[in-house]
Amino acid sequence: MRVLVVEDFEILARTIGTGLRREGMAVDVVLDGRDALEHLAVTRYDVVVLDRDLPEVSGDEVCRRLVAEHSPARILMLTAAGAVEERVGGLGLGADDYLAKPFDFAELVARVRALARRSTPPVPPTLAGADVSLDPARRTASRAGRRLDLSPKEFAVLECLLAAAGTVVSSEELLERVWDEEADPFTTAVKTTIRRLRAKLGEPPVIETVREGGYRIGGA
Amino acid sequence: MDRLRSAMTRFRLPRRTLRLQLTLLYGGVLVVLLVAVLGIWGLLYGTSSKAAPGTPASAALNAQAQAAGNGHHVDILFALVLAVAVVLALAIGWLIAGRLLRALRTITSTAKDISASNLHERLNIEGPDDELKDLGGTLDDLFARLEAAFESQRRFVANASHELRTPLTAERSLLQVTLSDPNASVDTWRSTGEELLTLGEMQERLIEALLTLARSERGIERQGPLDLAVIAEKVVQARRGEAERRGIRIGTTFAAASAVGDPGLVESLIANLVDNAIRHNVENGQVEIVTGTRSGSAVLSVVNSGPSVPPEDVERLFEPFRTAGADRTRSQDGQGLGLSIVRAVADAHGAILEVTPPPEGGLQIEVDFRLADRKAEKRAAGLIT
Repeated sequence: MRVLVVEDFEILARTIGTGLRREGMAVDVVLDGRDALEHLAVTRYDVVVLDRDLPEVSGDEVCRRLVAEHSPARILMLTAAGAVEERVGGLGLGADDYLAKPFDFAELVARVRALARRSTPPVPPTLAGADVSLDPARRTASRAGRRLDLSPKEFAVLECLLAAAGTVVSSEELLERVWDEEADPFTTAVKTTIRRLRAKLGEPPVIETVREGGYRIGGA
Repeated sequence: MDRLRSAMTRFRLPRRTLRLQLTLLYGGVLVVLLVAVLGIWGLLYGTSSKAAPGTPASAALNAQAQAAGNGHHVDILFALVLAVAVVLALAIGWLIAGRLLRALRTITSTAKDISASNLHERLNIEGPDDELKDLGGTLDDLFARLEAAFESQRRFVANASHELRTPLTAERSLLQVTLSDPNASVDTWRSTGEELLTLGEMQERLIEALLTLARSERGIERQGPLDLAVIAEKVVQARRGEAERRGIRIGTTFAAASAVGDPGLVESLIANLVDNAIRHNVENGQVEIVTGTRSGSAVLSVVNSGPSVPPEDVERLFEPFRTAGADRTRSQDGQGLGLSIVRAVADAHGAILEVTPPPEGGLQIEVDFRLADRKAEKRAAGLIT
């Protein structure tokens, strides 16, 4: 799951980034609206955590443009003004959800996850394929009842493959959805992670390699 | 007893409204005039009928009897005409007064409806260009000023709540994220602690600035003689280190400039001007601070190099929480309150603030403590205490 955090207060932006990354998400952090639009133009994000009061280009404007471009990214607005009319105003612009500052970090994580599920087609809260099951909120994965001990990246790759429900996911797509700008991305990273994941999943193999660098689980 | 009281309230005299007063005035004047006219006419008529010289006695007797009958008729007619005239006068007076006062009633009912929540409404009195239209226009202007004041108050509260809540959110997130990290090391906690300290300092500065702003907007509480040169020197001395770190050269010319005011507030005015000049500057820039006396009044001038400010943006700089577009992000120093404080302190002292953005960039701000000096002179002359 790839998330863009847009918040002009640097310490808060950095903290949200760290926290969401620990939850296994690929997170990019930008500090103003113009940077946000540049990032959104080149990368497909699942969720944008957007502060309403931003320098350069306001959060409202970023939101308006995303909606106008029919962006698939779900928008979670953050704002200090918790008054009802402010919240209604933000949702009226096309934001999918709204969180008033100060918030609890656990709530932010839960809301980001809920928004990511609302992608098209909708993804169920717990994922399963072959005999593997995965619960993103509890961060647990198991195969045939056996608990798997996965690193955040391995977990995210497994999540991506299960969410694709039997269709092929290319290495490039995995790279975009699981790794963020902070990581030094090479396709070898995907290969290495898949190799480790296969070892942990054990026999018989569930991750199938498709020609021209793609992977799938539980395909026909 | 209670029944008596309620009966009394029920039969209370009608309120002496302006309409009633005007009606009675019109009606009264009309009745008085009518009585006067009828009276004179009746008097003339009465004399002519009574004094008919040169008639025979019997005829005169006869005529007198007739005249008496006629006179009786005439009296009744007079009374009738008078009564009808009084009723008509009052009715017409009531209508005219109502018509003239209609605009006033509209003003009253609209003004009653306008409150803090719908200050955008206006009376918009139509009709001839008269006193009532003037009144409506004056009230509309008042509402416009009130609306602007309420709007700026609302914006201030919204901005202040954003500025206060954001560091709080950061603190909470920082603690929650670190607490939920099962592998948090001593180093992680150390850096979290340091960031929490930074956040605390930021909030402290913001609250301090808000309090100074509130204090200066309330006006001067204590005043005394002060010298701008002494205060400015103290302020600049404390900031030399920061200026050096930022590679900014400070030039000073301190000539005695005595004024009257609150030394604490004047110090925060100068400190905010100098901070602003140092922070919104360019690499290897400079700040020039001059104090002195010009045509009898104390003057402080701060000129700094920096990014150019469009003249139309100058006014915006003095609004709370607004900074020039050059600031890419909300910087950790400066809460966007500095120049608001400068303006509030200058206003409280009746000093004149003059801002000019030089074409080559930066800002030139001059504070002229003219009024404060005049007050000082008056106080010296024993005119005000």
